[in-house]
Amino acid sequence: MSDSTLRGKVAVIGIGLSPVGKVPGRSPLWLAADAAKKALADAGLEKSDLDGVLSCHAFASPFHRFSVAFSEYFGIQPTFSNTLQVSGATAATMFNIGAAAIHGGLAKVVLAVASDSLMTGLTPDLALRSLTESRDQQYEMPFGIPVANTFAMTAHRHMKEFGTTAEQLAEVAVVQRRHAARTPGAQQTTPITVDDVLNSGWVTTPYHKLDCSLISDGGAAFILTSAEHARELGIAKPIYILGGGECYTHEHIFLMPSLTTTGAVTSSRMAYEMAGYGPKDMHVAGVYDCFTGTVIMMLEDLGFCPKGEGGRFVADGQMTYGGQIPSNTHGGLLSFAHSGMPGSLFHFHEVIAQLRGQCGERQVRGAELGLVHSLGAGFATNATTILGTENTL
Amino acid sequence: MTATDDARRKPLPTPDADSAALWRGLRDGVLLLQHCGDCRHVQYYQQGMCRQCGSENLSHRAASGRGRVHSFSVVHRAPGPAFKDDTPYAVLLVDLEEGPRMVSTYTGGKPEDVTFDMDVVLVCERIDDTTTLPRFRRA
Ligand SMILES: [Zn+2]
Repeated sequence: MSDSTLRGKVAVIGIGLSPVGKVPGRSPLWLAADAAKKALADAGLEKSDLDGVLSCHAFASPFHRFSVAFSEYFGIQPTFSNTLQVSGATAATMFNIGAAAIHGGLAKVVLAVASDSLMTGLTPDLALRSLTESRDQQYEMPFGIPVANTFAMTAHRHMKEFGTTAEQLAEVAVVQRRHAARTPGAQQTTPITVDDVLNSGWVTTPYHKLDCSLISDGGAAFILTSAEHARELGIAKPIYILGGGECYTHEHIFLMPSLTTTGAVTSSRMAYEMAGYGPKDMHVAGVYDCFTGTVIMMLEDLGFCPKGEGGRFVADGQMTYGGQIPSNTHGGLLSFAHSGMPGSLFHFHEVIAQLRGQCGERQVRGAELGLVHSLGAGFATNATTILGTENTL
Repeated sequence: MTATDDARRKPLPTPDADSAALWRGLRDGVLLLQHCGDCRHVQYYQQGMCRQCGSENLSHRAASGRGRVHSFSVVHRAPGPAFKDDTPYAVLLVDLEEGPRMVSTYTGGKPEDVTFDMDVVLVCERIDDTTTLPRFRRA
């Protein structure tokens, strides 16, 4: 912990969600702008108060510079902006980079916003691109490797090395579906059992359909500013960014240093060190859950349980209410919604709402410290952010 | 060409300056690995310089073709129409005898026969006049 880091210097003062799930007839730019309006209203600010915009690419949108196109659509001319691209990890990097920009004086009030329409907005051209774009054209794509397959091979090896079972993987989906049932607007709320998961049909072994995340439309937005400015504005309950870390270990799945231990070990260690807290101090977590096995590996790499014990940890009820680290209490990508790169922003929305004490019947009591971990591209990209209330500064 | 036609066609590699030798070698029936003359690092993914030490003192040598399955996944839902008729097929991560790991698919047997640590050997499978893909069968 050092005064030179951004620890506690930047706060989230506004959050907003667009409609999520199946949202036909709305473009990614509309979804982003809708979420942004709500985040501004939540913060009590006007769009003219924004001077920074961070975003990421949307598959259903033709704009390469999505953050720039967004600003035009929203009628603003920011003096700090970027369209970030590290796949699923982009969400947490938006918080880390937004905080760094504010701490470093590049911007005063940053809007972090992203959206996509994977469910209803993809033309055949764009759908094809979204299926194949992220794998190597020479070394991976000719073999017919869906992105799901790269994650599947890591989970499969985890089963082989540590005895993780198909039932333990399925339990992740069961727990998160239970969480989603208490989240207004969640895409999938019908209760499921371990048998339902195991009987839902293969996608790519060891993953069945219900081991895989959803495909959705939707967006989310956040307003970040300095702790000092949050006080000037009289924000009721700012949520502070306490630590951030990232790690990029490979591009190709065959060059991943280990299939069962990921860059999340490093990114989370950096975030914990900056925050001055450890995994045992966290009250609530948003753990990237593109697939069930991803959650099990991340619970280990984020330090919530020892390597190899993630399956038992989940089966013992440690990732839900009453357990060690209630995770994905909104239902996650598996049951709440998964609109591509913005998907992990829903985890941020949930963890911030939990820390504000706004989660009603799914509130984790006494939640003051939370972690969100975003990742992507077959564990190539990892980013962690730690958030806390005023009491944790 | 419409998007639908495009989607039915399997993606084939377009060699670049770094990889031309690899694809030429496969056409001749060998899998060329890059050996670093300075640090002894061996790489499958072809680069203009050694990934470990940065040296450009690299030479191509044919791999023995022997390897072992480190992990695998049997694809039941294809990534697009081009691979639909092939399902189920097994994607393999193969550890080559020389050290590097590569991704490929299983050939010459049923995908459900693939197991962890299974010994496999290279099969150079001709796709057309320009492309030969490296696949693996049980040893
Ligand atoms: Zn070298």
